[in-house]
Amino acid sequence: MSEFVGHFFNALTLGAIYALIAVGYTMVYGVIKLINFAHGEIYMFGTFLGLMAVAGLGWHLGFAIILAMAGCAALGAAIDAVAYRPIRGSSRLAALITAIGVSLSLQTVAQLIWGANPRAFPTEGLPAFLLRPVLSVAGAELLGKELLVWVAALLVMLLLHLLVAYTRIGKAMRACAEDKVTAALMGIPVNRVIAVTFMIGSAMAAVAGVLYSLKAGGNISFRMGYYPGVIAFAAAVLGGIGNLKGAVLGGLLIGFTQALCGGYLASQYDFAFAFGLMIVVILFRPWGLLGRPESARA
Amino acid sequence: MSIAARVFLFPALLLVGALVAGCGQEAKEKKPAGQGQTPIRIAVACPMTGSGAAFGEMIQAGAKLKAREVNAAGGIAGRKLELVVEDDRGDTSEATNVARKIASDKSICLVVGHFNSTCSNAAKDTYNRVGIVQFSPGSTNVDVCRGSPWTFRNLYRDDYQGTFQARYARNVLKLSKVAVFYDNDDYGKGLMQSFCEEAAKVGLEVVAREAYIRERTQDFKTPLIKVKALAPDGVFVSGLYNEAALIIKTARQDLGMNVVFMGGDGLANDTLVKIAGAAAEGTYITTPFLFNTGQDSPEAKEFFAKFKQAAGRDPDTWAALTYDAVGMAVGAIRAVGDDRARIKEWFAASTAPEKGYRGVTGLTYFDREGDCYSKPAYVARVKNGQFLPAEKQLLDIK
Repeated sequence: MSEFVGHFFNALTLGAIYALIAVGYTMVYGVIKLINFAHGEIYMFGTFLGLMAVAGLGWHLGFAIILAMAGCAALGAAIDAVAYRPIRGSSRLAALITAIGVSLSLQTVAQLIWGANPRAFPTEGLPAFLLRPVLSVAGAELLGKELLVWVAALLVMLLLHLLVAYTRIGKAMRACAEDKVTAALMGIPVNRVIAVTFMIGSAMAAVAGVLYSLKAGGNISFRMGYYPGVIAFAAAVLGGIGNLKGAVLGGLLIGFTQALCGGYLASQYDFAFAFGLMIVVILFRPWGLLGRPESARA
Repeated sequence: MSIAARVFLFPALLLVGALVAGCGQEAKEKKPAGQGQTPIRIAVACPMTGSGAAFGEMIQAGAKLKAREVNAAGGIAGRKLELVVEDDRGDTSEATNVARKIASDKSICLVVGHFNSTCSNAAKDTYNRVGIVQFSPGSTNVDVCRGSPWTFRNLYRDDYQGTFQARYARNVLKLSKVAVFYDNDDYGKGLMQSFCEEAAKVGLEVVAREAYIRERTQDFKTPLIKVKALAPDGVFVSGLYNEAALIIKTARQDLGMNVVFMGGDGLANDTLVKIAGAAAEGTYITTPFLFNTGQDSPEAKEFFAKFKQAAGRDPDTWAALTYDAVGMAVGAIRAVGDDRARIKEWFAASTAPEKGYRGVTGLTYFDREGDCYSKPAYVARVKNGQFLPAEKQLLDIK
């Protein structure tokens, strides 16, 4: 029982992190139909910024996360302005290749700045409650850092929902997702809306990066973004790419599959189980669990 | 900013970045040839990026120190020694590419490398086909030298190391139930197997064998929850420092597992302590060589001081083994010149103590396969963030 509860807590933590990353993929896809393969690298930059703030400047983790979010928002907007906006009208394939190029470039830049050796958040520099158990169920403990992941993910998702559903910019985003040309004709500054979309998705990736690194105990290196990026992309596809609730659902499902199948079957195949689930779902619903078929969307 | 400016700005920035990086590569170890003669070139192949990058740093530093000393003393028969450093990223396909590049460059007469066993195994076909000596200062997998006449190494094999560790765990640490985590590559699997085989013989129960994949497995909580439920009294990690650090840290800090942690020489790097912090305290590792044993040879003491002065940090096992590997290569070239085939004959003939090379890490000579049996395994334990000799060594097993 203790083991199961432990896996359950872990699954929820992993799922929340994947959901945070997946939302970034899905928002960008929803608005400009681009799979932003540089998203994993934005996640990586965010984690490094957080690490620099905590380890280098001695900041409190909370402020470090805010700095990482702000830095990544700026980076997201800059990437959009420099790499994606100039080729906005061209084919989706061109944008996709550009995204891969941006991803490789960011990895190289990160390696030049921070070197190739993996790093971790220094335990001494973090608030003490992160490593303390805050809840104990049937002998399985929930640590402060895991609770932080849940709370942060919930809070960020809630804010995002409010933003998209009830604000002017949220309305503009939905309009752009539906039909960019008509939105532009109605006087919506499409490019600015896209930039904001990138900024929000990137800030969420920063949160995910810092939290994942705290949860796993390290892994901060210039290549850290690749696998979480791929997993979160699968989560976004599974939930229905372009759909925010789908990304959250997909992230959680992948987190649970990975943790439970990894825990009870074979841990080295945890990725295979997660991707297997995605394949099964898209065999029957190619548009994902909560997505809409392409024809209905247009 | 106009669109045109934006389109050009990003590639321009990248280009500047690439140039800066490129200059760094070019500047490495290029020295003017002595008296207008062509330099003698040795390749050093190791991971400079990827999850073994910290090993690569020490390997390069060790090799460079030796090269600098050789050149300061007049080079090899008046010719300068030049190192060609190549990055194999600890990755098999990249190791093959690097091997092709090195083998096809006729000015290179020998390769010191690779580090990861899985890379040495992947690269050795190329070196054998073309005919250039591959001399590894780090690969311990059993198969590295087997059936590969051009491959040699100056440290023990994993069957020795794994056997040694299983006995140490049972007889010295008195463990009875261990869980094993292993990296799913040649090194991790080979060491895990020899550890488990010997464990069965000495009555050490292996309750779990958990594989992971370097760089891909980033979170070890799932397998550790499983392992904790099996209540082992020790955890053995057959892999490299980064993953080992995460395993130890998660187990100790997050799951409160109060067990003995052990690992092979893949853990022998400070990054283990940097990542795991206080959780790494008390971890046992085996290594082919160790400083500060209290019985350090004069060579080891001298090297320690010289390295610290040159590199600004303490040397580790890999720096010392690479320093010796380059030293032995220089000895070969001094004796027979820079012909690849004659260098190989010299290496193949170094089969007895009196024909061996005495360096910092002891005496190096080979058996018929090119394996080195002349060095023992040491046990180090992390204390105050440093790898110090464990109270009990076990030098007498054969």
